[in-house]
Amino acid sequence: MNGSRDAVTAQRAWMAALQKIGTPIVSAILAIAVGSLIIWISGYDPVAAFAALFKGAFGGPKQVGETVLRATPLILAGLAVGYGFRAGLFNIGAEGQLMMGGLLTAWLGVQMVGVSPLITVPVLLVFASFAGAAWAFVPAILKARVGAHEVITTMMLSHVARYVVSWLTAGPLKAPGQIPQTETLTTSAQIPRFQSIFPEGVLEALPFLGMGRAHIGILIAIVVAVGVWLVLRYTTLGYENRAVGLSPWAAETAGVSVQWTTVKALCISGGLAGLAGAVEVMGLHHRIFDQFSAGVGFTGIAVALLAKNHPLGIIPAALLFGALSAGSGTMQLEAGVSQKIILIIQALVIFFVAAEGLVNWFIRKRQKEATSGAE
Amino acid sequence: MLSDVITPDLFAAALRIATPLALAAIGGTICERSGIVNIALEGIMLVGAFFGTATVLATGSPWLGVLVALVAGVAISAVHAVASVNLRADQVVSGTAINLLALGLTGFLMELWYGHPGTTQPIETLPPVFSFGAMGEGFIGEVWRWVNGVFLSHTPLVYLAIAIALVAQWAMYHTRWGLRLRGLGEHPRAVDTAGVSVARGRWVAVLMSGALGGLAGANLSIEQVGVFQEGFTNGRGYIALAANIFGRWTPVGSYLASLLFGFADALQIKLQPFRDVIDLPPEFFLMVPYVVTVVVLAGVIGRAVGPAAVGVPYKKG
Repeated sequence: MNGSRDAVTAQRAWMAALQKIGTPIVSAILAIAVGSLIIWISGYDPVAAFAALFKGAFGGPKQVGETVLRATPLILAGLAVGYGFRAGLFNIGAEGQLMMGGLLTAWLGVQMVGVSPLITVPVLLVFASFAGAAWAFVPAILKARVGAHEVITTMMLSHVARYVVSWLTAGPLKAPGQIPQTETLTTSAQIPRFQSIFPEGVLEALPFLGMGRAHIGILIAIVVAVGVWLVLRYTTLGYENRAVGLSPWAAETAGVSVQWTTVKALCISGGLAGLAGAVEVMGLHHRIFDQFSAGVGFTGIAVALLAKNHPLGIIPAALLFGALSAGSGTMQLEAGVSQKIILIIQALVIFFVAAEGLVNWFIRKRQKEATSGAE
Repeated sequence: MLSDVITPDLFAAALRIATPLALAAIGGTICERSGIVNIALEGIMLVGAFFGTATVLATGSPWLGVLVALVAGVAISAVHAVASVNLRADQVVSGTAINLLALGLTGFLMELWYGHPGTTQPIETLPPVFSFGAMGEGFIGEVWRWVNGVFLSHTPLVYLAIAIALVAQWAMYHTRWGLRLRGLGEHPRAVDTAGVSVARGRWVAVLMSGALGGLAGANLSIEQVGVFQEGFTNGRGYIALAANIFGRWTPVGSYLASLLFGFADALQIKLQPFRDVIDLPPEFFLMVPYVVTVVVLAGVIGRAVGPAAVGVPYKKG
């Protein structure tokens, strides 16, 4: 008796888990399906397009490296947006905090000459997260004190950040020369590529280790993801964050300060976005210029939603969007489909995750068909 | 310098810049009054502007462009209606999806139809409705210069926006539709109990905001800029939402709040050439609309209370 009941419970738990990861997977598949439809209607061959995209994202060590490279800031941006969502806050302006983090990194990273990278890199990461948190502080205070919607305030400040970056890169921080960009970071402030940490012989013997432009920032991002997961799961900070996200009234009644938790959540979210900017500057660009971030903060929204704001789920979600982004160039080149289709697919992912009811209906229908087929 | 800045031109520019904000803000007001948050206004404007421009490029008729912009706005807002009314999705997230979709779709179609990203060819724009010359002399002439410059120099949608603000204000407080609309946002259960369909009422409101957002896009492309440029709404949809809040969820309030933002923007444009008086990098001027929006929100919110049921999906039964 007991045994079978346990089996039923276990099966239920299994089904629940499946449902949990099933919705995002179905959402992603639906989004890609609708994307294919758009490609087809536009007169291109969707199979050729996605074959090219796949080749560009996974075709070899260099391509895999490009996917990892693109996924790196997306993990951190996804964590930023996801951490906010867990407290019921929508940090739609993560892009701005990301730019401020990148900006401070680019400024300090030029000056810390002659300091060991083991000191420079962590110091810059900390400062970048402070810059991001500071940029989120005003919306945080406004949300907590007067209830100003963080969607509008963070969005507005992200436009302001864009102008700050374009002013500084063309003016006070501009490197000598024609191009409006800052000077290259000192070597010790750069996050090394995987290529550069292996000796020449090893790379020749094991070519898959030399992952193109990918840098060890991906490891930093994964460590941060695990850290955020632990904080949310095992600390008072994380508990209060989740409590406020699930029900502010219940949290307040239980003695959690909703205002203070809101401020902390949005600042931590901004700090994570700042890290994304830092990693992008230290690992990829080694400087900043106008619009250096190319929408990473916004893609972070899709990443977080696809992962249902689970810090560990954000890693595969970021890899998916990293792959789409890495492969889109090849797709445009070989199949002629505009890279803009990636934006459309991102939007569709967000839409399908939001319209969970639709996706669940789709899954249930499939299950029903499957079971009725079995009978 | 002051007489160079305070000109009829400045106030005319304020009205002009306020128009797309006001159209979108009134759309936001109607939508939020029905209980649906519409973050998607940014994307709706963009889609309206794009299809409006594409129509003018194809047919050469600006008025047809305005019509198509309106229809395109309605069409894309239907997606938001399905998500937030029927599927009871998170409205802010659904709106974000639409904004991103608008950015991707317009960029994608731009490359597909015109073979390049960025900006379209210039289109024929709608001319001002009136064209009066100088009249009278001395004081009379000066008064006429101001009246003509500030109020009579505009394109059709500028006047339409004012008319829409007034009509919507009247309708919201003096018609059965208005009463039901306000009920939908405050207490949908009561409206439902009275035998009125919550879903249908909210659908209509979302589609109306789509039409207004489409018109806002048409004003931007077919009356003001004369081209479509990728992402050229530049956060206006969000500023419009702030204007709706500052205007306390009323159409005329939204219009007046938009006028304030329009004036701030017109002023910064007017001040830019005076580098010897205000020596700031151009980027600081460009930040003005966004900073003003945050400051205004910081100042008024707390005291402005939105519809009680806004953002809450309604489940019948």
